[in-house]
Amino acid sequence: MKKIIDVAKYEYTHHVAKPRFWITLLGMPLGFLLIMALSVFFSFLSVDKEPVGYIDRADLIIQPQQKPEKIGFLELFIELVPYDNEAAARADAEQGLLQGYFVIPATYQSTYSVTYYGNSQPSSDVTSVINDLLRENLLLQEQIPNLARIEAGSQISLESLDGSQSSDGTGWHRLVVPIVIGMLYFILVMSCGGYLLQSLVEEKQNRTMEIMITSMSPNQLMAGKIIGNLGVGFTQILVWLVILGIGLLFFHNRLPFLSDLSLSPGYLAISLALLVLGFIVAAGLLATIGAAMSTMEEAQSINSLMVLPIMLPFYFFQSFFSNPNGTLPRVLSYFPLSAPFSLSLRMAFASIPTWEIIMVFTILVISVGLVFWLSGKAFRRGLLEYNKKLKLRDLLVKEANHG
Amino acid sequence: MDTIVVNHIAKSFGDTKAVKDVSFSVRPGEIFGLLGPNGSGKTTSIRVILDIYQPDHGTIQILDGPMNEEKMNHIGYLPEERGLYQDVELTRNLTYLATLKNMSKEDIEQKLPIWLDRFDLTEHEKKKTKELSKGMQQKAQLIAALIHDPEIIIIDEPFAALDPVNTQLVKDLLVELRNQGKTIIMCTHQMNQVEKLCDRLVLIDHGTVLLEGSLKAVQTRFATNQVLIQTDSDLPETLPGVQKIEEEGLFYRLTPSDGTTSRAILQQLIEEKISMNSFEIATPSLDEIFIKVVKEGRNGNEENN
Repeated sequence: MKKIIDVAKYEYTHHVAKPRFWITLLGMPLGFLLIMALSVFFSFLSVDKEPVGYIDRADLIIQPQQKPEKIGFLELFIELVPYDNEAAARADAEQGLLQGYFVIPATYQSTYSVTYYGNSQPSSDVTSVINDLLRENLLLQEQIPNLARIEAGSQISLESLDGSQSSDGTGWHRLVVPIVIGMLYFILVMSCGGYLLQSLVEEKQNRTMEIMITSMSPNQLMAGKIIGNLGVGFTQILVWLVILGIGLLFFHNRLPFLSDLSLSPGYLAISLALLVLGFIVAAGLLATIGAAMSTMEEAQSINSLMVLPIMLPFYFFQSFFSNPNGTLPRVLSYFPLSAPFSLSLRMAFASIPTWEIIMVFTILVISVGLVFWLSGKAFRRGLLEYNKKLKLRDLLVKEANHG
Repeated sequence: MDTIVVNHIAKSFGDTKAVKDVSFSVRPGEIFGLLGPNGSGKTTSIRVILDIYQPDHGTIQILDGPMNEEKMNHIGYLPEERGLYQDVELTRNLTYLATLKNMSKEDIEQKLPIWLDRFDLTEHEKKKTKELSKGMQQKAQLIAALIHDPEIIIIDEPFAALDPVNTQLVKDLLVELRNQGKTIIMCTHQMNQVEKLCDRLVLIDHGTVLLEGSLKAVQTRFATNQVLIQTDSDLPETLPGVQKIEEEGLFYRLTPSDGTTSRAILQQLIEEKISMNSFEIATPSLDEIFIKVVKEGRNGNEENN
């Protein structure tokens, strides 16, 4: 056990101590945020925020537009300015004080039609403020009690047939956990799996491997490497979560939907366990590839094939949405490489029988055993074959005959 | 008690029989030469001993039983294909490899500076492996093989990248370790290096043992009664009791006729009033024995085939 920890420690510090690791780690979310911020900023800049005038010939507007007390940064407010006559509005529009104006005709209550005057097509923001103003004033005439509540819509509660799961919302926020699990799984396999593959091919190329496997068993070596690289992955995730946490601390007022997000600890635990087991299976396969290949280029080309099964649930996202217990979502959650995202996603939308969850975990645990066995063979056979790559047949047939 | 017992091992890779039948045993306090030409099966035999490869047939006994994790900590190995992390500092490299041999941090901190000093590497300890010369890398690799004070030391081509000064340094070290009672297997095809070091040896070719025994016994077995003399005078073309006289650089090699002893030849040379700087019995060099045995072995194989 000590040697497994020693290898894990070395693998972990080897990556984490490099400046390159931190640059990628911090650069990725910061770069992502920067691109997001720039795109929001530029789209905000491109929106015409000049006021829009209106002439109310139908005497419809009892309650004019309310100007908010404070307009936040990047918040869009298009002011609607009442005019007594069209000439004044036209003059202001021509001078550029208004982006346009609309006329509510006297016959509005029978035609429900207004005319907008301007040199360019009104943006969707403009048409929606106009519509809001008209709808609100029409409804005010109807003397409807509980108007505000009616406008807000009804609350729909969901409950599964066996009563095991319930939700007080429309369910969209249930997507947060599986999507996060799916993304983390993908990032873990791609980045940490990549590190693992790199370290194996490197040790094979610089011949350190021969020293390593005379100090410990191949399985100990691989376990150490997987734990170390998993640690690197979790460090990555932790740092991102801290950045996210800091972000939320500043912006939580702007993200009201977060208060809807109530997470069941059991569901979270199952999803995380799936993530870790799925990563170990993927890492074991990558280790086998790393042991069997002789150059990084060869290994990387095989590594990219791993993306396909991991991404399968993303490609068939719609099936999970429409029928979480359908054949395809089930098959994908039984397949070890797509299981973490698939089962987590299914659990978000449907009630999954306990036996099925146990079965998926059993499949994953058996797969972990299998990949360890296979990579142990690849280590013995492949690691010392410096100049040629190993074929799967070599692993399964030849060593079995002679071993 | 023998520390390593190799009993009729065989190992194939696909259709290639790397080792067909190799047996030998090694005792504590001796340097054992595992000799053979390139591709003879030396390195595969070593990898089988080290449990990197499982043998197809035969058994290995290390420290009185099969290999296990605990025994791995008592073995120091210098592979033919040297292995250090190229982008990592020398100290970190060696500390990590020593940790994997179960050394404590304190123990490493105490012993590593002594070893670095012994191999003149102290001033390079902060350098990355790739910044070191080949010879320095080889010395560093030797530290990795020896720092944990192993009972068994297996070294494959230990002098390959070393200059004469460092070669001598390593030779002295090996003798010192032998005197401490370590079991040392030295694997090489450089016979001249082995000659003065090995106590016993095995010579393999095509995966089979051609020759085994103590250095002295092997040399005696292949000895002719030729003598080598060094003289400033010219030798006569013929000498009584001498079948053949050959000039070899500064020496003359004299092959006696049947029944003539080296003592009789010496007597004859004195009678002829030939002044000599040296007179010695020509012991066959390991190189010569090696070439003779390998050639005979291969001819024998061809005849059998």
